[in-house]
Amino acid sequence: MIKLVRKDLKLFLGNKQDVLMGFALPIVFITLFASVFGNMQGSAEGNSSGLVHVVAGTSVMMVLLSVAGIGGGLLNEKEEGMLKKLLCSPLPAHHILWGKVVIAMMIAVAQLSVMCIYAMLVFGLDVISHLTSLLVLFLAIAFCCSSFGVFIASISKSRQQVQGLSTLIIFIMSGIGGSMIPVFVMPGWMQSMAVFSVNYWGVQGFYDIFLHSIPLGGIPFLSKVFVLTGIGLLLNVIAQLLFKRNILKIV
Amino acid sequence: MINVSNLRKSFHTVEALRGISFNIQQGECYGLLGPNGAGKTTTISILSGILPTDGGELRINGHDLKKDPLTCKSQIGVVPQEIGFYHELSAFDNLLFWGSLYQVPKRQLMRRIDAMMDLLGLAERKNDKVKAYSGGMKRRVNIASALLHNPQVLLMDEPTVGIDPQSRNLIFEVVERLRDDGMTVIYTTHYLEEAERLCDRIGIIDNGEIITQGTLAALKASHSVEESVVISFAHVSDEQESAITREWKNFQRIDDCIHFHSMDIQSDLAAIILMCNRAGMHIEHIDMRKMNLEFLFLNLTGKQLRDP
Repeated sequence: MIKLVRKDLKLFLGNKQDVLMGFALPIVFITLFASVFGNMQGSAEGNSSGLVHVVAGTSVMMVLLSVAGIGGGLLNEKEEGMLKKLLCSPLPAHHILWGKVVIAMMIAVAQLSVMCIYAMLVFGLDVISHLTSLLVLFLAIAFCCSSFGVFIASISKSRQQVQGLSTLIIFIMSGIGGSMIPVFVMPGWMQSMAVFSVNYWGVQGFYDIFLHSIPLGGIPFLSKVFVLTGIGLLLNVIAQLLFKRNILKIV
Repeated sequence: MINVSNLRKSFHTVEALRGISFNIQQGECYGLLGPNGAGKTTTISILSGILPTDGGELRINGHDLKKDPLTCKSQIGVVPQEIGFYHELSAFDNLLFWGSLYQVPKRQLMRRIDAMMDLLGLAERKNDKVKAYSGGMKRRVNIASALLHNPQVLLMDEPTVGIDPQSRNLIFEVVERLRDDGMTVIYTTHYLEEAERLCDRIGIIDNGEIITQGTLAALKASHSVEESVVISFAHVSDEQESAITREWKNFQRIDDCIHFHSMDIQSDLAAIILMCNRAGMHIEHIDMRKMNLEFLFLNLTGKQLRDP
C-alpha cells in the first residue's frame, strides 16, 4: 500500500493545478474573508470568532473538494486501464481503496496545517496553544473527508460524474453545515439539518478548540471527533462494498 | 505449466466461455485466435486472476488459481489491451511503480528496467513522460511492465493493436526471444500472420468454444484444407483445357484463369507449370493461395476472422 501512496503523492505534487487548488486557493479565501470578518469579538483568549469561523469553514470545504478529486482518481485508473493492471498484480484489491484513503488523509492534514499556520502567521490565530487537539481534529476531519471522497467514487460511473456529484454535495453540505455562514445565524430548520453534514462537525470542532477552549479530553470536543470518525467509518465500509460491486467490474 | 479444464463464464444471459480446455507446456507460445467477441479477453482476464469463473479448473505451475491467487499472480506477467500507465509520470517511474508491486528488490528492479528499456528500444527516452510517447512506444512500455518480475508465464492480449510496423516487428522479436528463453506465452490475436509467426500451437476460439487446436501443420493435416494456385493465361482454348483435364482433375476454369487445387500446392507447383507448358499455354500471372489460418478459420466456422 505504501507504494500506491508514494505513487499518488508523486502524481499529486507533479500536478501544479491540484497543488494550487489545494493550497493556494484556500489561502486566498482565508485572506479575503478574514480581512472582512476577522475583527469580530471571540473567545476570552482573544481569538476572533470571525477569524475562527473563516478558517474552520474554509478549511473543511476546501479539504472536501480536494479529496473528492483524489477519490475520483480511482475512476480515472479504471477508465485508462491502470486499475486492471493493479488487479493483475499480487496486491490485495482492498489495498487499492485504502491507498486512496491514506493519500487523501495525508493531503488533507497538510492542507489543514498550512491553513492554520497561515492564519496564525498573518492573522494571529493562537494555534500553538492547541497543537495536540488540532492534530486529533485534523486526523478526524481528514479521515471523514477522505472516506467521503472514496464513497463518491464508489457510487459514480465516471470521473465526470464524480466531479458533478461531489461538487453538488459539497456545496450543499458547506451551505447547511456552517462553512459559508455560521450555523447560529441560520433558521431553526436549517440548524437541525446541519448535523447531517461533515462540515458541521468539523467546524464545531474548531469552535470547541478556539472559541470554547475545551481541552483535548473534554466530552464536547471528543464527541465531534467520534462523530467525524464514525461518519468516516460508515462511508468507508459502504465504499468498500460498492467498490467490489461497481469498480471491480472491469471486464 | 498451464492447465485449463472446462472453463465457463457467463455475463448475465451471454455465455462468454462454454467449457474451454487446453494445456500449455513450459516454454511454449500458445496462440488464441478468434474474432472480436470470441472469448479471448475473457480467457486472459480469468487467467490473470481478475475475473472469477463460473466453473472449471485452472492451474498455473501446479497452483490452483482459485485457492492460491496471489502465488499465481506473482508468476504471471500480463500485457492487457489497454495501455495502463500514469501519463504524467516518466516511463521509468511507471516501471518502478509497477515492478515494486511484485516485490522485486529495488536494485534488481532498476537493473531489470534498464534491461527491458534496452530490449524494447526505449533506453534513450526512459525519463520522458509517457504522455509524450507514440502509441507504439506505449505498447512497448506496456510489455516491459509485464516482464519486470521475470514471470514464468506471459499473457498477451492483442499487444499489437493499432501500432506502427516498426514497433510491431520489435514486439515480434521480443516475443520470439522470450519464447526461446523458455518463457511460456499465451498470445491472443485476430491477426493471422502474428499467430503463424509466433505460436508453437494455436487454439481457434469462436463463440466461447475452442473449435480446434494444435500446431499449424497438424491443423492443416487434420482439417484437409485445400490450397490453390491461380494462374492467369493469355488465352485458354477448349483443347488446352481438355489436355489439362487428362492430367489434373481438381481445377476450376474461370475465363482465362485456372484455379488448380492441391493439398500441398508448394510441392505440386512445378508439376502444374510443366503441365501448362506442355499444353502450350502462355502464363501471364501466378497467384499462390497457400493454406493459412484465415482459410482454416473460414473453413471451420464459415466466417471471416476479421471484422469487415
